[in-house]
Amino acid sequence: MALKDIKGAFILLVSALITAFLYNYFSPFGIAIFGRWDESKGVVTAISKTDPVNTSIEIYDPEAVNLIVKNKKRIILDVRPREVYDQGHLPHALSFPLMDFDDDVANILGSINRNSAILVYCSSAECTDSHTFAGRLKNLRYTDVKVFSGGFRQWQEKGYKIEKNGE
Amino acid sequence: MENKYTPALVLIIKLVLGITFIYASYHKIADPARFAKTLYGYAIFPGFSINILAITIPFIELVAGFSLIFGLYPRPALLIINILLSGFILIIGFNLLRGHNFDCGCFSFSSNSGVLSNINLLIRDFLLLVSGIYMFKKTTAS
Repeated sequence: MALKDIKGAFILLVSALITAFLYNYFSPFGIAIFGRWDESKGVVTAISKTDPVNTSIEIYDPEAVNLIVKNKKRIILDVRPREVYDQGHLPHALSFPLMDFDDDVANILGSINRNSAILVYCSSAECTDSHTFAGRLKNLRYTDVKVFSGGFRQWQEKGYKIEKNGE
Repeated sequence: MENKYTPALVLIIKLVLGITFIYASYHKIADPARFAKTLYGYAIFPGFSINILAITIPFIELVAGFSLIFGLYPRPALLIINILLSGFILIIGFNLLRGHNFDCGCFSFSSNSGVLSNINLLIRDFLLLVSGIYMFKKTTAS
């Protein structure tokens, strides 16, 4: 391998890096230089320009969620697919799959008051569906919506009570 | 050893490697957030590096692929391609060895790909690397 190969590779790499960062800066789908990849600090995300994640509404502490569930302080919405919900979900959680949101809007508006305290969760801290759902609720003028960032996986790992359909 | 088929073989490898790398970069450039999440799923990279890799790797693939096909710095392009392929093989091999299921994200995004599919991937990358090394030896430094 000649020195000129290394020099050439350096030129190609610098060209690629300059193009990459410029494209990322101007692209509507660009992401931050540093993402949020610590699951203990909420839903993990690359923090893109179109990111649905809103950190200010997250509840990170599963024990706090356990208290909310026990004391029935919030209406709990499970936004995972219904067949997954049927296999196990947080106690008292209602199934409103994100994929059926448009079909369920009338049902949501009919059954949940806009001033109700709501807690949304999906499968895990790797899933942003709960944030997408919370954002849509906010657009429907629901005022008190929180997201359980650890989702069902963290709830299960903590060994908290799981409800299954028919139980 | 040179024979009359060598130039044709070199041309085919050049096109296969170049087009593979250009094609592999497309969906990653289109959706860097998804690619970043795929990299996170490998459970190897430190958090601070994930976005930087998601932004830069697709463009390194794209530039190396175009450079190889159009004959602009072909040996340096092959050097980059071979280093990338070696990295992919190490990462995929490491995850297969430790039994960590992951989505490759190589040519499209999906959920976790499964062990068999990842072994196929490892074999494919290994064949591409062998081709890349062969081509590097056959390409004269200009």
